[in-house]
Amino acid sequence: MTPTGSAVVIGAHRTAAPAPAGAGETGAPADDGRPGRGRRGRPLGTLTRIRGTLSLRWRVGLGVSGLVALVGLWLVAAARTTGADSGVRVPSPAATWSAFTDLWSSGTLQADLAASGERMLYGYGISIVVGVVLGIAIGAFPGVEGGLEAPIGFLRYIPASALTPLLLLWLGVDEAPKITLIVIGTVFFNILMVADVARAVPRELINAAATLGASRRRIILRVVLPNSWPGIIDVARINLAAGWLMLVVAELLASDEGLAVRIVRSTRFLNFDVMFAVLIVFGIIGVASDLLLRGLRWKAAPWDR
Amino acid sequence: MGPVTGPEVSDPPAGHGAGRAPAGARGAVVADPALLALEGVPYDQRPVKLEIRGLVKVYGDGRDEVVALDGIDLDLPTGGFVSLVGTSGCGKSTLLNIVAGLDRPTSGEVLVDGDLVVGPGPDRGVVFQAYSLFPWRTVAENVAFGLECTGVRKAARRARVAEMLGVVGLSDFADRLPRDLSGGMRQRVAIARALVTEPDVLLLDEPFGALDLQTRRSLHEFLAQVWQRTGATVLMVTHDVGEAVYLSERVVVMSSRPGRVAEVVDVPFGRSRGPELRRDERFMALEDEVDDLLHQPR
Repeated sequence: MTPTGSAVVIGAHRTAAPAPAGAGETGAPADDGRPGRGRRGRPLGTLTRIRGTLSLRWRVGLGVSGLVALVGLWLVAAARTTGADSGVRVPSPAATWSAFTDLWSSGTLQADLAASGERMLYGYGISIVVGVVLGIAIGAFPGVEGGLEAPIGFLRYIPASALTPLLLLWLGVDEAPKITLIVIGTVFFNILMVADVARAVPRELINAAATLGASRRRIILRVVLPNSWPGIIDVARINLAAGWLMLVVAELLASDEGLAVRIVRSTRFLNFDVMFAVLIVFGIIGVASDLLLRGLRWKAAPWDR
Repeated sequence: MGPVTGPEVSDPPAGHGAGRAPAGARGAVVADPALLALEGVPYDQRPVKLEIRGLVKVYGDGRDEVVALDGIDLDLPTGGFVSLVGTSGCGKSTLLNIVAGLDRPTSGEVLVDGDLVVGPGPDRGVVFQAYSLFPWRTVAENVAFGLECTGVRKAARRARVAEMLGVVGLSDFADRLPRDLSGGMRQRVAIARALVTEPDVLLLDEPFGALDLQTRRSLHEFLAQVWQRTGATVLMVTHDVGEAVYLSERVVVMSSRPGRVAEVVDVPFGRSRGPELRRDERFMALEDEVDDLLHQPR
């Protein structure tokens, strides 16, 4: 334990490498031997600190500037393509807004929203229910995990959109194939991700419940499920985007009403302003449903905020 | 069997009145009069509550085989307090988990009152090191969990929970979530939750390991009171030798790889103990002796 002969020198930061002339920030002692007012350590950046947190003001400010930049890009693109003879044309925000008000006052947009919303409600609703039931079962029981994980892992990689012709053939052109497509396109992701959530339930909690006399059923309902709710809501939120994607695929093939139908029709007649209006509606619905589910998580799991 | 230290018959040090009870632990957990008679009865002459017979636990197979426990035999008398000490990885927690029914032994068996342990059950309450409270349940709801499992009606449940929270001194925190509590308070809730169903055997898996020294000491007093008043049979796993000697009647020192019982040390300070014992020379000498046994190369 004697320092002699040791490669480790305590205080190396003080005495090593004299400061280059003029650079007064190495912390090297001044001539009089007293410590200098240098700077030590790597500065912590406000915006660049890894895993740092931002104040509300910064977050709102950055969010707004991101959106402004997006609108700016749109304005530039619209200005540079007006009057162009080529097929590349970007409608201006003003034209898009008037297309939106037309859609709204004629009632078309409301009808489309209702049709698409209903499909999503059924399709994604079924997908979530199946996902939670099977996901919890896979995550909780090794037997179910062993039997189901491999086939679901395989089915997950089948591109659901490629099944549309088959579904139309089997289920007709009504709502059934569209709802089914939304289910098939999202349910396997929901199952496997909920299974991961259920697997993350701390073993200590399951053990504690078991030693207190809880049955398997009670452990599932009173420990695994409550502990998993926040994670399940997160899974629902993340896969919702895939749900909207499947809705568009479903509506593209055979529909009279729906947001995606409106997009297809508008592009066919080169009404890009209408198309942009509907695309923006899609974006707003996405953000709104995301915020809604975040709010639900906040309300439903005060212990996990 | 290792050396037996001190006289067989317990002989509490001077200055130990039975009337010294810390606040909050006053009579709510009813003492069984039959247990008070245990005072003075030699440890080995009491009826056996918990038997551990030839317990072997092997993890993995072939080349990766690890013998965690290699033939553990241990008896706990009714109302006894035994501590398992050993360096980390000696299999002491594995042993406790097998007694709790949370892990299966490779061979050997655990008996409680002559019944074979095949799985977890409310007859053996367990207090884990930390993070075992249900974070979405309030303190009162956490304590009520075991009563819900055994089908106690709501009114009776509420009364038992309120009583138990009084015992652990947390009545004012009944409606708080675990995250609002300090580490020491959380462990008191965990103890209350394990005790509310009145288990025969209390298993403690390093229950105070994550706490600071001050909190740990106050919980030692609390646990000693609970033990003296309820007469529960306690098996505690710890790496804190002082804690083991201060609380238990017998300390089992385990060796690691494979986990075996290396030494058994009897603690001759009787059932009623108080903080004065910590400054008793006999206590300090015994603590040093167990510490030496623990660090003796084998």
